[in-house]
Amino acid sequence: MKQIVATVTENARLYGNTYVTWFAAPELLRAAVPGQFLMLRVTVAEPDCRLPCDPLLPRPFSFHRLREGPDGTEWSLLYDVVGRGTQWLASRTPGDAVACWGPLGRGFSVRPTSQQLLLVAGGVGVAPLVWLAEAALADNKSVTLVLGGRSAEQIYPASQLPAEVEVIVTTEDGSLGRRGLATEDFLEHLEWCDQAFACGPNPMFQAMARVMHGNAPRRPVQVLMEEGMACGAGICYGCAVETKKGMRLVCKDGPRFDLRDIF
Amino acid sequence: MNLQLELPGRKQSLLLPNPVMTASGTFSFGLDKGHGFNVQDLGAIVTKTVTLRPRAGNPQPRTAETPAGMLNAIGLQNPGVGALVRDIAPKWARWRVPVIVSILGATVEEYGRLAERLEGMPHISGIEVNISSPNATRGGMEFGQDPQAAAAVTAAVVRGTTLPVIVKLTPNVTDITEVARAVVDAGADALCVINTLQAMAIDAEARKPVISTVFSGLSGPAIKPVALRMVYQVASAVDVPIIGCGGIACGTDAVEFLLAGASAVQVGTATFVSPSAPIDVLNGLKAYMADHGIDDVASLVGAARV
Ligand SMILES: Cc1cc2nc3c(=O)[nH]c(=O)nc-3n(C[C@H](O)[C@H](O)[C@H](O)COP(=O)(O)OP(=O)(O)OC[C@H]3O[C@@H](n4cnc5c(N)ncnc54)[C@H](O)[C@@H]3O)c2cc1C
Ligand SMILES: Cc1cc2nc3c(=O)[nH]c(=O)nc-3n(C[C@H](O)[C@H](O)[C@H](O)COP(=O)(O)O)c2cc1C
Ligand code: FES
Repeated sequence: MKQIVATVTENARLYGNTYVTWFAAPELLRAAVPGQFLMLRVTVAEPDCRLPCDPLLPRPFSFHRLREGPDGTEWSLLYDVVGRGTQWLASRTPGDAVACWGPLGRGFSVRPTSQQLLLVAGGVGVAPLVWLAEAALADNKSVTLVLGGRSAEQIYPASQLPAEVEVIVTTEDGSLGRRGLATEDFLEHLEWCDQAFACGPNPMFQAMARVMHGNAPRRPVQVLMEEGMACGAGICYGCAVETKKGMRLVCKDGPRFDLRDIF
Repeated sequence: MNLQLELPGRKQSLLLPNPVMTASGTFSFGLDKGHGFNVQDLGAIVTKTVTLRPRAGNPQPRTAETPAGMLNAIGLQNPGVGALVRDIAPKWARWRVPVIVSILGATVEEYGRLAERLEGMPHISGIEVNISSPNATRGGMEFGQDPQAAAAVTAAVVRGTTLPVIVKLTPNVTDITEVARAVVDAGADALCVINTLQAMAIDAEARKPVISTVFSGLSGPAIKPVALRMVYQVASAVDVPIIGCGGIACGTDAVEFLLAGASAVQVGTATFVSPSAPIDVLNGLKAYMADHGIDDVASLVGAARV
């Protein structure tokens, strides 16, 4: 994977503590699919070979969305500011250079026969689902997106989504949409959907798995797992998770897994 | 420009096309294609440490970032030597780059058996004996911290193989030269200096250790000065080639290790920070030699020693 220097074209806070940064570097997208990610260095890109020391490690981010720009296809990241790396990223301005490499891992795979797609997002887990939704719409599929969060500040603005996406909002405190968890109506949704896709915290996947273990309609459910990563390339064994099929690396064997192989 | 070097062994020598290798556990088995350079251009590939039986490794969290470094407690996750021999080694069949297999046993006898399993394998050029991992519940560092145990392990491996034997030392000792002398007397053909420094991190908000195993190994640029000092000390104590390792991230770092007395270097954590780091280190070394009119890399070895 060749490391490249991507140029920031736009950077803004989109809602709550969540930012979106756009990059011009179409070469990074070569054959990328929704659900794949990239590794991004959160220090100024150095021209010589001396590596940055602090923060040392690159950070993983999912591709969020694509758009056409003056120099080809641009891609964006959607992220919560939670530490030094995301703080650094949120303070970039257009023209800044960022070192990154990708696409990495295995993304979502939508079955050709799946027509009705259910997408379930927990918090910033919505990031990779927006590109998936747009790609599915372009494929003439219909998309329902459940957005879950603790409160209104964690909910991706529906105005940013294509009008064709059916959006269901749930918040734990009831400040927007229905009060409750994103997974509460999962059983009901399984009745009509052909395939489901989810990204969010593990407890959300566990709740979905509990539903699947009951006598729910059998539907393929793909989830994007998250684990602390050092390399993102399958060489450090830092991101291993135990699955029903043995130890797997989230960065290389995932981040997309079948829900039934995990919980 | 001559970058070749020979690590003379008692039974077989190891001829390296150049002195830059990958460090064990930071390049898996060399088969992942994510790095964007040709692995055949490196001096050697050192594999992830393998054990007799497969190991699942430690629970999460396994890694954490620290200033200019990282902590890891992977716990030697590996498919076991059987899978290495059966499934992985055949994939090296057409490789020109030498492959060195890193091994770790829970007992002296296990080290010997691991060496025997690798004997006669066509695509393996050397054995690196890991007596230095802080992440093994049994074996590993406990052998590397005791000169007698370290010598016993080395002797068991040397008995079981005709391949060149590199012993990888731990910095977590009072006097590294004692262990270095003991393993060389026991038959080590070369030494790798150093493995990770035992360390820890605490999460002040959660009020508990960050890594699941509490203690873990520190690597990266933060440990380079310690590694350099230890290479320098070991070079004064023994006559076998030394492979320097610890925080090497660019050509200049490699030059510094050669000047301290190393004959070759390994690149570890830097490969996570930049996937092309091993080849960048090699190119940086070549650029240094060109800039300074140096024809033979061997002339740098130990040149800064006073
Ligand atoms: C494959 C993959 C894709 C990802 N995609 C996105 C994305 O699209 N948008 C997004 O906002 N985030 C995403 N993340 C998480 C993102 O990588 C981390 O939030 C980021 O690395 C934090 O960096 P930092 O320097 O700001 O925080 P740090 O200073 O590194 O950490 C700050 C706090 O966040 C916690 N933390 C850091 N990394 C993780 C993690 N991976 N999981 C859980 N907690 C963590 C730390 O323990 C700490 O408490 C993804 C992670 C993975 C593995
Ligand atoms: C994630 C990780 C895994 C490692 N696994 C091994 C291993 O299996 N065997 C071993 O001998 N050393 C292992 N090491 C140690 C490295 O080979 C090297 O000695 C150490 O990291 C110092 O070099 P560096 O600073 O260039 O990384 C590991 C290091 C890291 C960071
Ligand atoms: S992050 Fe290194 S193996 Fe997955």
